[in-house]
Amino acid sequence: MTAGRLIFDLAAAAAIVFSGLMVVGRNPVRSVLSLVVAFFALAVCFVLLLAPFIAALQVIVYAGAILVLFLFVLMLLNVGREVPDKNVRPIQRVLGSAAVLVFAGLLLGMFRHSGSHVPAAADPVDPAMLGDPAALARLLYSDYLLHFEAVSVLLLAALVGAFVLARREHAS
Amino acid sequence: MTLLAWAIVILRVALPVLILPLFVVPLTWLERRGAALIQDRPGPNRVGPFGLIQPIADMIKMFFKEAITPTSADRFLYLLAPAIAVFAALSTFAVVPYGSTIKISGLEVPMLGADLSIGILYIFAITSLSVYAIVLAGWASNSKFSLMGGIRSSAQIISYELAMTTAAAGVILASSSFRLSDVIAMQQGTWLGIIPRWNVIPQFFGFLVFFISAFAETNRLPFDLPEAEAELVAGYHTEYSAMRFGAFQMAEYVNVMVVSAIMATLYFGGWSLPGFHPRGVLGALASLLIFMAKSFFFVCVFIWVRWTLPRFRYDQLMKIGWKALLPLALANLLWIAALEMWRMRA
Repeated sequence: MTAGRLIFDLAAAAAIVFSGLMVVGRNPVRSVLSLVVAFFALAVCFVLLLAPFIAALQVIVYAGAILVLFLFVLMLLNVGREVPDKNVRPIQRVLGSAAVLVFAGLLLGMFRHSGSHVPAAADPVDPAMLGDPAALARLLYSDYLLHFEAVSVLLLAALVGAFVLARREHAS
Repeated sequence: MTLLAWAIVILRVALPVLILPLFVVPLTWLERRGAALIQDRPGPNRVGPFGLIQPIADMIKMFFKEAITPTSADRFLYLLAPAIAVFAALSTFAVVPYGSTIKISGLEVPMLGADLSIGILYIFAITSLSVYAIVLAGWASNSKFSLMGGIRSSAQIISYELAMTTAAAGVILASSSFRLSDVIAMQQGTWLGIIPRWNVIPQFFGFLVFFISAFAETNRLPFDLPEAEAELVAGYHTEYSAMRFGAFQMAEYVNVMVVSAIMATLYFGGWSLPGFHPRGVLGALASLLIFMAKSFFFVCVFIWVRWTLPRFRYDQLMKIGWKALLPLALANLLWIAALEMWRMRA
């Protein structure tokens, strides 16, 4: 096993463990911090997959901006420790367990087929150019232009929605 | 790899980390004497000639003071916050080229930590993490003044980071590379024989936005609202004492030096000068001196501004960030894009 592979496995394990801690944790601020560590570990994985550009974006956008806003909101509202809800309806437990089982089954199925099933090389990308920002930009603004624009319209809609909601509350 | 190559790699990594904190010591002296000069008073002048030994006395004081942890603080995060501050401040410098290449027994060694292909993005990634130090310090102290400082800082740094990154996008566009050595290489030579080809000339407004945002990103006056001693005691580090407080102070000065070095690199040609072609060890040393002189100039401006301008109000801070700096940075980006298109046509 090479050093790179070892670091990759460690980072992947850290990403999974800290994502789990984020869900299980009762303290919202610590949950956000677990997510920061998980994103960092994910960035390390991207670097080792020869995609340093994606790794940098992962840290700048998610760890550096979005989660800081999460912290800002948590601190502004001064959210304390999360108290476990006593009135859990039985149906919630049943449905929740079922969802977990289905998800686990899907994951297992994916792992069983991984390795044997290699996705077809749909994109004619030179392997040496993998992770190169220029190659990424070319794909994003040619083949995936429609998807790209659709996502940006979605974000704009969310932005306008938030603005409208905030204004209405302000006026009343 | 030979032993020598390994030694060079370790030196390249360790040098910036070891040397930057050393510069903090004279910098605190410079700040206090500079403040005294501007405010027409003597300043620290008792310990040693011109008070030069004063920072050492301060350091000893900080090391031997009692380190108090507030009883209701989140102990782990409380101790983690100053560590993050110092880590983020020191590791930003890893990609900044501080000199030309130097030849050591046949090996060409560029004078910088790591010439990453995503150098500029690395800088923004690490600096965007430094906000966690302030936010966590504010939250974990469990004090209302600290919390206010932390909340202010999270909103402030995100607002100004946007303007700063958009301004830097102009530099990236002009050099069509994220690599800092490419940014310096593209600023060699002159226009019309006398004007250096520095980015600051075509992108003056981009530089202006970057320069102003740098003050907000390092929490220096006139943007030191997370600290704001007139309103918040000492803001996010109210509850810190001894060397934990010293760590925050150190991180602030290291940040000032690093952001000065980045401005010198992105907009003023870094270690290069028009007509200067470094050769041999002396040339490399000269390039290092040029880099330090350019950075030192901005450090002095930081001190000068801190003791000259009053603090902004919070609403003014937000208005400047979103309504003045961001549109200006976008206009600069548009202008550079137009310039590049025109250049490609020609």
